[in-house]
Formats: sequence, structure tokens, C-alpha cells
Amino acid sequence: MSETIGAQVRKLVGEMSPLGARTAQSDDRLVEDLGYDSLAVIELSLQLEATFALQPMAQGTAVDITTVGGIERLVEEALGAPADAA
Amino acid sequence: MSVLTLGDAGFVPDITDEAPEETPAERSGRLATSADLYRRWERQQWSVAEVAPRRDAETWRALRPFSKEQLLGSLAELEVGEVCVTQTLGSLTDHPQTEDDRIYLCTQMADEARHVRFFQTYIQDACGVPLHEQEGRELEAAADYANVFAPELTKVTGEVRTDGSPEAWYRALVYYHLITEGVLAATALRTTRFLAKRLNLTALDEGLTNVTRDESRHVSFGLRAATDGVTAGYRQVITDAHFEAVDMAAWVLIGPARHNPAPAIPVALQGRAAQLQGSVDIGRERLLKQLRIIGLPELTERADQAWTAGIDKALDAYQERWDAPHPIRAAASA
Repeated sequence: MSETIGAQVRKLVGEMSPLGARTAQSDDRLVEDLGYDSLAVIELSLQLEATFALQPMAQGTAVDITTVGGIERLVEEALGAPADAA
Repeated sequence: MSVLTLGDAGFVPDITDEAPEETPAERSGRLATSADLYRRWERQQWSVAEVAPRRDAETWRALRPFSKEQLLGSLAELEVGEVCVTQTLGSLTDHPQTEDDRIYLCTQMADEARHVRFFQTYIQDACGVPLHEQEGRELEAAADYANVFAPELTKVTGEVRTDGSPEAWYRALVYYHLITEGVLAATALRTTRFLAKRLNLTALDEGLTNVTRDESRHVSFGLRAATDGVTAGYRQVITDAHFEAVDMAAWVLIGPARHNPAPAIPVALQGRAAQLQGSVDIGRERLLKQLRIIGLPELTERADQAWTAGIDKALDAYQERWDAPHPIRAAASA
């Protein structure tokens, strides 16, 4: 069975943590727990775009982006699929 | 010629100072003379070999593609800029306003040569890009400074040699010391040093710190010489040179020839736009601050408008070149 979108996002976010590759959980905070800063967020965004072929999003889609779960939901909305869907 | 004495009476402004307003020394102090700057140069020596760029190679290889691309673009702009100023300083040295200026400018020539060697060695040894092969040549050829500003700097410095007048010298001084070094290099060095620290590129950070110290002396010379020029009756040529050059400087800072990805996720796009807008604001503050220091504060409003117009023009050119908005525009319209 292929990885869910949520699992793929968590894997990427964990791998790209400025603190070093680690396992990321949905409730991990990007800044406080995983060490993300503005540069790391840009790099993560570009990697997510490449992985999921994301298109530019409207500002209103930027829901709870402070946690890994927020990014999972963002990607899910962009792809029109639930985060746990394969 | 001044007699060399111990100690420095004048001050050298820090070109990476973040305060938009002048410091107390900049408001009321005496800028370092050429003799002061010579003494500083003797004390502030460094070598590319001691910086050892190769020690960053492993860290460089581990960088994400975005950071690599952005840093390499910045380093290429700095490298081609240093090559150009090394090639063009000679005419200013040959026709100095004073003999102390000539001695100082000779020290600057050595600095510029060292900067060329530093950036070339770094790009080759740390970034792994051979400058003599196609990849390196393409990197240099894409630099906006090389295509837009360098031909004009070459022209105005060449006119110092053929004309030899103080007017030609002061015009070239503005293009060289105040715009290329005081606005463009100062802005690029500040943002690139920030990235070097953030990405743990210790040799790059050390080298850029050394280059910045040298550039602070160079800009200080430009400010003092331009101040003297304004006082000595060359106000108009110094004013005109600023407004000739500001448009090109804004163009180089935006860099329409270099692709700048606009992240799809809004928070990342806003962050990227804020970084780039920060550089635009630093360039603007440097320009206006220098005008105040050299005794032309009445020009700041006009210069501010010219800078904004130049930035807008470059952002339009970017959109036309890449068929997509520059991140600054994309964030503003999101």
C-alpha cells in the first residue's frame, strides 16, 4: 500500500528539519520543535511543490501553518484529497 | 602629502550598519582621510589562503538546491563586480585629486585583486564550479552587473583617462565607490553574510567579513572624496552621476536575468518576498544615507523616487523575461 499524503508530508518535513533529519509528528511545531526558520520554510515549500506538483495558493488557504499537521492539511486541500488518503 | 602618524583621527562608516539614520560620528565626525585609510590598510591585512575556502566544500554539497542556487547567484554577482572594479580602478589612481589619494587608491587596487581571488577560489574550491569551463562561464555571463552596470563603469572610468578633468574623476567616483561599492556591494555583502552564517559556511562568513572590512574603507574613501568634491564646486556632476547610475543599480539588485522562484505556499512566499524586499530597502537606505553624508541631503526625496521607479522597472522586466511575477510582486498581489 502506498504512503498516505499525510505520511509523505511528515516524512519530508522531518527530513528537511534544520535540526537534522528526524521523525516528524502531526502535532510537532515547525519553529519550536523542528527548528524551521524563514529560509527552511521556503526550501520546504519548494520541495513540497516539486513532490506534489502544487500550484500557487490563495492567501486564505494558509490555515494553521505552525504545525506539521497544518502543512498536511494545506497539501490535502491543494490536492483535493484527505490527508490520510493514499 | 600628509605625514604618517600613529592612530586614526577619522572614522570609517560600517557599510553593514543596519541603522537607516546616521550614527553620531556620521553626523558630526570627520571621515577618515586617505592617510588614515592607508594606516588602516596596513593593519587590516588578510589572505585567501588563510581563509581556506575548500573547508566549506562538504557543507556546500549538503545544501538544498534553493540555497545553493541563491548563494551561487550572489557570489557570481560579487565575483564579476570585483573583476570589473579591478580592471577599472587604474584611471582613478592615475588622475587622483591629491597624492595621498593616489597612495590610498594603490592599496585599494591590492584589495580588489584579493577579492577577485577570494570569490574565484570560493566558487571553484567550495562550490565546485570550474570558472574556466562552460558552467562557470555561464554563471558569470548571467550576472546582471556584468551586463548592465559594468559597461557603464568601464565607460566613465575610461573617460577619466581620456579627459583627465576633475569632473570626469568625480563622475567615475560616484559610479565606482558610491554606487557599485556603497550601494550594490554593501547590500550584497550584508545579505550573503547572513546566509553564510545561517548555513554554517564558516570560510565564506570569514572571507565575506574580511571583504566587508575592506569595502568599508573603500566606501569611506568615496564618501570623503565626494564630500570634498561637493565643497570644491563639483556638486552638479556628483548629483548627475547619482541619477545616471541609480536606475542601473536598482536593476542589478532585482536581477531580472536570474530566476527567482515564488513559493506556492503563502507563508513561504511572504517570507521570500520579505527577504528580497529587505535587500531593496537596504539599497535604498544606503543610497539616501550616503547623499546626506556627502552634503546633498536635499536630493534624498528625488533619489528615493528614482530608486522606486528603477525597482518597478526591473520588476516589470523580470515578469516579461520569465512570464511570471517576481516574488515581491507575487506576494503583494496574493
